Amino acid sequence: MVIGVIGALVGIYLANYLNSATGTAWFSFIAALGAILAVYYGADAVRRVASYGLGTGVPSIAMLSIGAGQIAVLLGLAVAKNYGVEVAGPVIVLILAAIIGLVNGVMARRVIKMSITVLEMSMTEIAMAASLLILGFSTAIAGSFKFNPIMSYVVASGFIIAVFIVGGMAMFHPFNACLGPDERQTRTLHLALATGFIAMLVAGIAAGAINGVQAAVPTLIVAIAGWVIYYLRFYADTKQDAAAMLSTGLIPLEEEVA
Amino acid sequence: MVELGALTLVGAAALIAGVAEDLESDVGSQSNPNSQVQLAPQMGYLHRLYNKAISGEPASYPFYAAIGAATALSVLSVTGNDSLIGVFFALVAGAFVTALIHGVYATTSYMGRLASQSRFGQPIYLDVLRTHTPVLMAHGFVANFSVLLLTWVLIAQHLSPFPFVVLAFIWGIALGGVGSAVGDVHLGTDRYYQDRPYGSGVNAAHSGSVVRKAESGLRNSIDCAWFCSKFGGPLTGLGFGLVVYLHFWKEVVVKDWWSAVAGIIIVMIFVIMNTYLERYSRQRYGTYKEEIEAE
Amino acid sequence: MFDLLLWVWIILGGILIGAGVHFIPVGGAPAAMSQATGVGTGTTMLAAASGLTGLIGAGTAYYTHPGDFAYTIVLGGLSAALMISVLGFIANVMYVYGAGVPLASAKVKYDPISKWRQDLYVSRGTEGHGTPMASFISGIIGAFLAGAGGALVYFALVETYKAIPGFSATFGGYPAPYYVSLAAAFAIGIFFLNCVMASYNIGGTIEGFHDPKFKRIPKSIAASLVVSAVGGLFALLISVMLPGGI
Repeated sequence: MVIGVIGALVGIYLANYLNSATGTAWFSFIAALGAILAVYYGADAVRRVASYGLGTGVPSIAMLSIGAGQIAVLLGLAVAKNYGVEVAGPVIVLILAAIIGLVNGVMARRVIKMSITVLEMSMTEIAMAASLLILGFSTAIAGSFKFNPIMSYVVASGFIIAVFIVGGMAMFHPFNACLGPDERQTRTLHLALATGFIAMLVAGIAAGAINGVQAAVPTLIVAIAGWVIYYLRFYADTKQDAAAMLSTGLIPLEEEVA
Repeated sequence: MVELGALTLVGAAALIAGVAEDLESDVGSQSNPNSQVQLAPQMGYLHRLYNKAISGEPASYPFYAAIGAATALSVLSVTGNDSLIGVFFALVAGAFVTALIHGVYATTSYMGRLASQSRFGQPIYLDVLRTHTPVLMAHGFVANFSVLLLTWVLIAQHLSPFPFVVLAFIWGIALGGVGSAVGDVHLGTDRYYQDRPYGSGVNAAHSGSVVRKAESGLRNSIDCAWFCSKFGGPLTGLGFGLVVYLHFWKEVVVKDWWSAVAGIIIVMIFVIMNTYLERYSRQRYGTYKEEIEAE
Repeated sequence: MFDLLLWVWIILGGILIGAGVHFIPVGGAPAAMSQATGVGTGTTMLAAASGLTGLIGAGTAYYTHPGDFAYTIVLGGLSAALMISVLGFIANVMYVYGAGVPLASAKVKYDPISKWRQDLYVSRGTEGHGTPMASFISGIIGAFLAGAGGALVYFALVETYKAIPGFSATFGGYPAPYYVSLAAAFAIGIFFLNCVMASYNIGGTIEGFHDPKFKRIPKSIAASLVVSAVGGLFALLISVMLPGGI
């Protein structure tokens, strides 16, 4: 949890201040790296809660939290702008996301009476991870985390919905893709990092529309390199875990399976 | 009149999107019938089918549409959206990048799910991965491009005020919903259980015993897409095409509150058609049990 | 400025969305194998699909008639109902001709609306197949409620954000103003919030208003009320926080 939250916040702040200090957009990719740490944290939280058996499937909890998270992001930045404390924007976002996540969790546990003991804590965590994820990728696209650029560049163009669904998918796909009795945490989290880098790729493409080559090129290069590394690790994990990895073949007979 | 012509193009693109979407979900065995493919190794039926579990079609099609729309917007910000050819190539570029990401997600799902079933002895077949993934990428490309095209035409004709990415996202969810409701039944009831008699639902006791031996050789998911292209695919296309076309038809042909009246009339027509269909199915097919047995 | 009436519209919209999810007949994964009555998708996603199509209808209605409350809501609901009626009908065509099964439900002996016999037409080992008359009508009602709820949320958000100075600007050469983009994004978010809460309440599949699980609807109304209130409050406070505009 600590790595996820602190790492994401560090990434977002670094990107914003390096960008404004140099007056360019070369450092936007650092925010996306912070967002990938938030994806890692979120995927781990989804894995913990989904192991209990949600009944409606894994995607639903991530979609709920990301839908709530994006409202928290924009309100947090607006509050920061109104009170003149733009520098505290991401922290306010985190607090508001925790509030909305806690409300969702309490409603799901106490009113709807879902019988998962860790639901309140998990929903709070997933909402925090989701909001940091949206803020991180939006900062990578817009170049800074102040309200005006995020509104004009990310929301008005509709890129926030792209971040919404790509980020949400990056959070729940790892556990959903590794669902089964032999699921292993390391393999799932390697996949989470790989899908996080794909989300960074999409954010890089969108950043190219806003800030041109300066934002797009470092983001795309780091995204592709990171994806290759973690996808190959996932492939190696799969080779180790699978019953057999055959280049081709017929269905094994009963005797061969035992 | 221009609007009605553009709307016909939108309806045609929606039809193609529906067909391609259903066939893509059949090659990848996504969504609902995938529960049977997932269950099969546990019941001892090892298979050579694809197992793509990217969360079900109504959640993965908005994903593709949003990525495609974001990429198309990026390309257009460089080239400018004045010329028709420029827009066309931007949409193609968007669909292409999405197809690559789609392929990556599909391979991770196949490898991940099958590796988590290692205790049942289900092997991962790399040739299934190599042959099926490009096919589903191609179908996904066609479906995604059609969704992007229809969204673009709707926005250019001022039929919807939403931004490009948001509208593509919503039509993606609608496409996934229609594809999941209509096309998956043909795959799940007919093709996966082709050895059972036609004309009955799948008995719960037979869950997991999907057909694994095909007409010639072992069954794979590309065979399933061939079968479903005879009925399931086109019907899904008809469904989604009707959804999109009628949705805007009632606003283009008549204006203001008459659109609401037209909407109510269309809903009532479908209710009447459904009544006739239900009565026809009962009279034609008859009962499964006799009255005495049921008492 | 913070308008209490608009907050009430968002809460009411959220409640309608949650209630609408309970009416739409969903068979889940078994329905694709003709083992359960209803449409073969997940609860959340089918309600989201029909309700968001209603949102498109509401968006177009507000665009052509800005500020017209009744027109937006009615057209939003009707667009969603139209989508579900087409979807349900085409799915039934698939069941009758593709799977060769009559439409029947195993949970009631006589259909509440058509009064036709059900249990004799259910194949052995299944819980029904297709979407018979009562489930179909229930789906249309549910989609209308979900679409109207989404339209209410969208209307409230657009009215709030239109008043912020500077929000009529657009991005690039595209026609969507800031307030429409923000309202649409938040409407989608609040939609998913309520749909998922309602689907947690249903816990799997439901056949419509004649299903015993339908009696759980008060819990969903309470949960949707609180969740939409908090979400709506956060969304409306943005306009309070930006008196000077952008």
